Amino acid sequence: MKLRHAVILLGLLAVSPATHAHELRPAYLEMREVKTGEFSVLWKTPMLGDMRLSLEPEFSGEAKPATPVSTRTTPGAAVQTWTLRALALRGQTLLIRGLDSTMTDALVRCEFADGTTWSQRLSPAQPSALIPARQTAWAVAGVYVQLGIEHILFGIDHLLFVLGLLLLVQARWMLLKTITAFTVAHSLTLAIATLGYASAPGAPLNAAIALSILFLGPEIVRMWRGETSLTIRKPWLVAFCFGLLHGFGFASALSNTGLPRADLPLALLTFNVGVEIGQVAFVGLVVLLERSFRQLEFCWPVWVLRAPGYAIGSLGAFWTIQRTVMMFR
Amino acid sequence: MKHSVILLSIGALLLAASPAQAHLMNSGFGPFYDGLAHPFLVPDDLLPVIALTLLAGLRGARCGRWVVFALPSAWLAGMAAAAVIHLPSGPVWMTCALTIVLGALAAADRPWPVALVVGLAAVAGATHGFGNGRELAAIKGGGLAMAGIASALFVVSALTAGQLATLRAHWARVAVRVAGSWIAAIGLLMLGWSMRTGQ
Repeated sequence: MKLRHAVILLGLLAVSPATHAHELRPAYLEMREVKTGEFSVLWKTPMLGDMRLSLEPEFSGEAKPATPVSTRTTPGAAVQTWTLRALALRGQTLLIRGLDSTMTDALVRCEFADGTTWSQRLSPAQPSALIPARQTAWAVAGVYVQLGIEHILFGIDHLLFVLGLLLLVQARWMLLKTITAFTVAHSLTLAIATLGYASAPGAPLNAAIALSILFLGPEIVRMWRGETSLTIRKPWLVAFCFGLLHGFGFASALSNTGLPRADLPLALLTFNVGVEIGQVAFVGLVVLLERSFRQLEFCWPVWVLRAPGYAIGSLGAFWTIQRTVMMFR
Repeated sequence: MKHSVILLSIGALLLAASPAQAHLMNSGFGPFYDGLAHPFLVPDDLLPVIALTLLAGLRGARCGRWVVFALPSAWLAGMAAAAVIHLPSGPVWMTCALTIVLGALAAADRPWPVALVVGLAAVAGATHGFGNGRELAAIKGGGLAMAGIASALFVVSALTAGQLATLRAHWARVAVRVAGSWIAAIGLLMLGWSMRTGQ
């Protein structure tokens, strides 16, 4: 299968300076009831350059800050904490003011003293929601499926790795096997890391993920030259091994956005389902583009055909160096 | 003489570009993604693109290949021109008329010359691009947003034209023609609305 025809554009998209690895930036509001009617609030808003997105949570009823708001900035986000006094939070409508003028979503999680939780994803089209007496499992599932889809579609490094696999694999059956191996592997480590059985430190993990992308570059070139290697013969094996690393990356993203302790298995499962949906959509888009280019009878010059492979290798090298340097800063 | 008429026509259409098409939504993922999402969120822009790619697909692989490059390139050129040339905005009816023409040509499914389809792609791209470019030029990262829009157009036109290029079944061609007629009808409604509101 000449997938390289189809991925030329995707390669160009990937090398755009606008693309960043691990782009997952919904706002996040966590409210934890520490004693009856008193909530510890954590409000994380994404930054656009040096500016914090102008988003503020508002309640329809009685809910007032009991302490001053403390603000600190982390890479890519501003984190504010305060204590909120609200005797009856259930039944109130929560509005994220300013959300309707962006396309950024806001993930809201509320833990009540009785152990129940409420999770909701608010969007520009629906910037407010009623805090219900009880939340169904379906509602929690919906929130995390969306989060998973978003993470894979905006996590350029994961997509580049999948793109590299698509360039390497010639036959459809092998493609299915390879993508499945990647899926199984990252699902395994995502579960293990999220459930707390293992962890990987962020900085070396990101460098290793970049290294996995860099690894594919020379293998693609080797395949073009008609040479062979273990990766070319058994791409599913490489996909499985590096998939284990990428799973730790997904787990890190999931924990950054917050996890409901009461619904942890459900959130984990549905986040992974979301990741798979996003991944299948990406693979489908590449395969469809390849088919379209074939039907339009494109005859690309050789340098254009080779560009995606070199772009993958170069980006992998750049990220590996960048992230390795960051480890020692 | 012929070339100057074509250039004058393109110039007139650029002047007619609509300010309503310039709006860019904030995706929260940076200007490139804002641009990538833009054509899918603005029906004024999306409809002529779909009509054009249906038309190109019906005309076969050669026409499809030309349109896949002509449309995003002209759109990009229109956006870049708007960033440099500061001209007042024109009426919406002109872009509605383009949508009607493109939809009607797809619905008719005649052996239109490839040059005509590619010319229309260039005109539609330049006109809509000029409309987009006015606002993009004023925002931070406008260049990246323009690249995002052009990339989205390339993917949409390649997917649509590519899937249709080898369409042989009679019923499938009829379905595409019906889609073209619907786009022309929507264009008519938009034209009526723009006249009513005096745009």
